[in-house]
Amino acid sequence: MRPPNLAFQVERFGLVIVWVAVILLFGALRPDTFLTWANFSTIFGSEAVLVIVTLGLVVPLTAGDFDLSIAQVLTFVSMLTAILSAKMGVPLWIIIPTVLAAGALVGAINGALTLYFRVHSLIVTLGVGTFLHGITLWISDSQTIGGVARALMHWSIIVRFLGIPIAFYYAIGLAAMMWYVLSYTAFGQQLLFTGRGREVGRLSGIAVGRVRLLSFVASGVMGAIAGLIYTGTTGSANPSSGTTLLLPAFAAAFLGATCINPGRFNPWGSVVAVYFLVTGINGLSVLGFRTFVQDLFYGGALVVAVMVSQLISGRKERNL
Amino acid sequence: MTEQPAPRLAIRGLTKAFGGVRALSRADLTVMPGEIHGLLGKNGSGKSTLIKILSGFHAPDQGTLEIDGQPVALPIPLGKSESYGLAFVHQNLGLLADASVLENLIAGDYDRLNPFAINWGAEAARARRLFAENDLALDPYDPVSALSPVQRAQLAIVRAADRVQGRNNHGVSGVLVLDEPTPFLPIEDVRVLFATMRRLTATGVSIIFVSHDIDEVMEITDRATVLRDGAVIGSFKTATTPRAEIVASIVGRSMTTERMIGGYSPTATAPLRVEHLSGQIVRDISFAVGPGEILGLTGLIGSGYDEVPYLLSGATQARTGRLHLPAAAHDLTRMTPSSALQCGIALIPADRQRAGLALDLSLTENVTLPLLGRSLSALWLNHGRLAGITAAIMARFAVKADRPRQPASELSGGNQQKLVLGKWLQLGPRLVLLDEPTQGIDVGARREIYDRLVELCQSGTSVICATSEFEQLETIAHRVLVFDRGRIKAELAGDQVTKSAIAHACYQENRSHAPA
Repeated sequence: MRPPNLAFQVERFGLVIVWVAVILLFGALRPDTFLTWANFSTIFGSEAVLVIVTLGLVVPLTAGDFDLSIAQVLTFVSMLTAILSAKMGVPLWIIIPTVLAAGALVGAINGALTLYFRVHSLIVTLGVGTFLHGITLWISDSQTIGGVARALMHWSIIVRFLGIPIAFYYAIGLAAMMWYVLSYTAFGQQLLFTGRGREVGRLSGIAVGRVRLLSFVASGVMGAIAGLIYTGTTGSANPSSGTTLLLPAFAAAFLGATCINPGRFNPWGSVVAVYFLVTGINGLSVLGFRTFVQDLFYGGALVVAVMVSQLISGRKERNL
Repeated sequence: MTEQPAPRLAIRGLTKAFGGVRALSRADLTVMPGEIHGLLGKNGSGKSTLIKILSGFHAPDQGTLEIDGQPVALPIPLGKSESYGLAFVHQNLGLLADASVLENLIAGDYDRLNPFAINWGAEAARARRLFAENDLALDPYDPVSALSPVQRAQLAIVRAADRVQGRNNHGVSGVLVLDEPTPFLPIEDVRVLFATMRRLTATGVSIIFVSHDIDEVMEITDRATVLRDGAVIGSFKTATTPRAEIVASIVGRSMTTERMIGGYSPTATAPLRVEHLSGQIVRDISFAVGPGEILGLTGLIGSGYDEVPYLLSGATQARTGRLHLPAAAHDLTRMTPSSALQCGIALIPADRQRAGLALDLSLTENVTLPLLGRSLSALWLNHGRLAGITAAIMARFAVKADRPRQPASELSGGNQQKLVLGKWLQLGPRLVLLDEPTQGIDVGARREIYDRLVELCQSGTSVICATSEFEQLETIAHRVLVFDRGRIKAELAGDQVTKSAIAHACYQENRSHAPA
């Protein structure tokens, strides 16, 4: 075994270093408002939803598929939760399994359409996601619905540990679980081969169709979890809430693939990427920039991330 | 004696070496106007190097080219060969199946078309005229996907002729190079294609017809040139040359290769039997392979021998067929890669880059993939142990690499193939299927792979090796099945397994070509 070399370590932790530099920069410019624990605990707590959506994307991306419907799963589940809870008074212990099953069902539909008709997942999930948004607008009558059970809010943002809302720890817990599954289980290796060497995997006995289907189901369930926590965080469901999350999640997933385990979509890289992006946006808004910086930052990050990862891999032709 | 016209195309002293290996050595070739000239030779004889020099793909080390008496500077700029009157039809024909006949016909005809204003009506009328002249019943607006295989081949040939006929090249009719256009066509269709070729030569076009199939060359060509080991062995008038003489010059008097295996003596254990196997090309074939036997499968392009490993391992679905193992019989129409693995069948595919290894992933990930969930726990992968397993395989199979975590893309072809071999042999399979196991691999690694295969058969494993390299079969095969148009045409065993005997069997006269 050769010793780990410096260049590789810099590549692995490059984004973490940039993140720290960004914090130091804004901290020097606005020490009173930016560099406070209150500001950071808000960032960590409120962006837990984005972390979970990004983690959800990482599963199908690893298997070589896109899931553009995940943000609409979030919105739909959020709306379903609000309606069941606020309007129909259904208890949470019924709501939670129901909405998780709804997320899994959407994932199964995505997978079935992609695999059976052999249509690219990009198109299938774009259509399914838009359809789902239509349902969301329909069942909500395009209104924001508030008044969800307090217990959901309680177990999302009110309970805190070290001053950070518990939602953050859910996201970290999911990232840890995913890291374990991807790195230490046969299923993780099967996902990887399904994405990076599908024919090799198939000839080695992997049921690549089943692996792809499961990856869609997993991202559907992750979208549903994100939807529940979103509802708990805001206490209400907004029929357009997910729309603004899709691009940031993709930006974070691709940016995350340039660090920690460079060249692969990976959960810890995704966590770092999400918090790097929101730190940058938070800092710029503290400096007084208006909301357009969000789009500049997320859009720019997605393009820069894919450019960097292509430079790392020597600009090879890719299908993804 | 009438005065000889200038040759349409004259190649003199063409030489090309790749890294010290002479692929082509002082080759001469003369093609007369209106002539169909066959180009014959085994794999690696230099045919494709010659064609690639003509198309501008390779620059020759030495040699000259004259077209209609005019010297042409070599290398010809890539993509400019049509302006010298040279057009090529390769085996894949270069047609886009989703596009119409007309779109395919005019694709790339930049010299003639105005790129900003294509007059589709005029082009369709022109296409109809062209098809009428060549006696082709094609509608310009039909999609190519609706055409039969022979119509596609005709379209490709007529398109190539249209590009070079007297338009760009000082008024002469040009040369078509047809590179193995027939191997997947049934014999009736080959005759249809020949009729198209004859109509073209009647207008003055010359054709170089590259083929493995001596019968086709005997039937269609006026003269033929045989290449062997990069050198021209001779040019023949096909009508007056006996077939046996052409076969002898293709095959040559090869030196014997050292055989690495002794005679095969059947053991008490029952052989594995394949019965009534049919796939895309192979039709209803049956054979057996004994424990500890290396069975070679070979044939010419399109004969179907290379389909067998994939059909037996469930990588492609068989149309019919059963595989009898000592324990049970398996229906090959329902075989999958994972059930094949459970039966102890391992496949080492020819396409190392796509089907053998995931090049982005590490050596460890590639090697240990078939162990996951079998001999290794599916829920707790010990990375130290995985690296250890990989290091042991790298040592045992002499894979030269830095470390198990390195991506597979960083290895040379030979080391990649040894790694693939290790990946599968660690499972202790009872039947190993190989397709072109030494393709693109250096001599040293090739020898090591042979050593491993011989060890394998000594331990009682059955090996089936599909290859186009006759020398490889002479080195390691106990027995060889020679395929022809989807069927087994000859079986050679023991002392009969020599390069020249295999070559003779491949080029032996086909009954399907004999006059009725």
